Amino acid sequence: MSLVNFAAREITCKIVYYGPGRSGKTTNLQYVYGRVPEARRGRMVSLATQTDRTLFFDFLPLDLGSISGFSTKFQLYTVPGQSYYNATRKLVLQGADGVVFVADSQARRFDDNLESLQNLQDNLLSQGVDIRQLPVVFQYNKQDLPRDLILSPDEMDDALNFRGVQSFSADALHGTGVFETLKGVSELVLKRLAAGSAVA
Amino acid sequence: MRALEPWVVAPLQTFITESSARLILLMTTSGQVVAQHGFARSVEVMTAAALGAAIVASTEELARIMGGSRFAALVHGGAQQSCMLAAFGTPRGRWIGLVVFGTETSVGLVQLFFDQMVEQLVSAAPREQAPATPLPNDFERELDTSLKELFGR
Repeated sequence: MSLVNFAAREITCKIVYYGPGRSGKTTNLQYVYGRVPEARRGRMVSLATQTDRTLFFDFLPLDLGSISGFSTKFQLYTVPGQSYYNATRKLVLQGADGVVFVADSQARRFDDNLESLQNLQDNLLSQGVDIRQLPVVFQYNKQDLPRDLILSPDEMDDALNFRGVQSFSADALHGTGVFETLKGVSELVLKRLAAGSAVA
Repeated sequence: MRALEPWVVAPLQTFITESSARLILLMTTSGQVVAQHGFARSVEVMTAAALGAAIVASTEELARIMGGSRFAALVHGGAQQSCMLAAFGTPRGRWIGLVVFGTETSVGLVQLFFDQMVEQLVSAAPREQAPATPLPNDFERELDTSLKELFGR
C-alpha cells in the first residue's frame, strides 16, 4: 500500500516486476538504473545467485521529483522468476501498489507465461488482493527476436491479457519499451492514489 | 529525524537518546518507511528498508515452516557496529525496527530501550486511521509532466 505523508508531503509507491524466469525483469531495472540521472536514483540492490539468477529480489529506488508539491518516490522490485522460489516471490509481492508482468514473447515460453500469470493471481489472492483491483500492465519482452520464434503483441494479448489492460512491446536489453512500461504503470498507480482510493 | 506521523516522534527521540543508537528506521512489513533517524539520503533509506523488511519476512517464513513462533529480534554483530531487526505490532499494523549501533552501547541496552519504545508507540498510536485525503486537483496534470521529464518521453 502506498504511503502518503501529508505533513512532509511525500508519496512512496511499490511497483513489482513479475513474470517467468529469464523473461527480462532484472534487465528492465538495469536499463532504468543506467538511464535515470544519479540524483534521481539510489543504489540498485540485486540479491542473486552466483549465476546471476535472482534469488530474492532486485531493488531500485527512484525519485520522481515533486508532483503537485509532493516528493514522489518509487520502489521498483523484481521477483525471482524460477518456480522454485515461490515463497520469496510472495514476500516481495506483499504491499505492491502496481505490477508489471514481464512476459517472454518466445513461442516456446508460452506455457511459462501462463503459469507465472496464474501464480501471480494465486499469490495476490493469498494476500487478499484481487488482481482486478490492482494496477497491472503487461510487457511483451524480446520482441526483437526473429519473427518465427516469437508471438506478436496481438497474439500475446490474446493469450494473456484477458482484462485488456495496457500492454507494451519491448526489447529490454536495448531499452525499447522499458520506460514506456514504467510510465504506464506509474500513471495507473498514481492516478489511483489521486482518486483517493489507496491513500494510507 | 523524519516521521510519517507526529505521534511517533517522542518515543523515537527517547529511544535514540537512551540507547545511543546511530541509525534507526521504522518501516511497515512491506518495506515502506514510517520514520528514520541518521540516514543522509532518502533513497538509501528506502534501500535499507527494503532489505530490512526482506530479512524479517524471510526469517518469519522460515520460523513458520519450522513450526516455531516468530523470532523476537535478529542481531547481526560487527566489529565496529551492529544491527538489530525486530518486528512488533502497533494499532497501525505490524511494523519493523532496524537499529544500527556501535561499541558505545550494547545489544542488551538497545533491546531494553527498543522494547520500551514499542510500548510507548503502542500507547501513543491513535486508534483510528487517518482519513483518506484526495490529492490536489492538479496532481494528474503535474504527474504527466514529471514522468515525461524523468523518462524523457
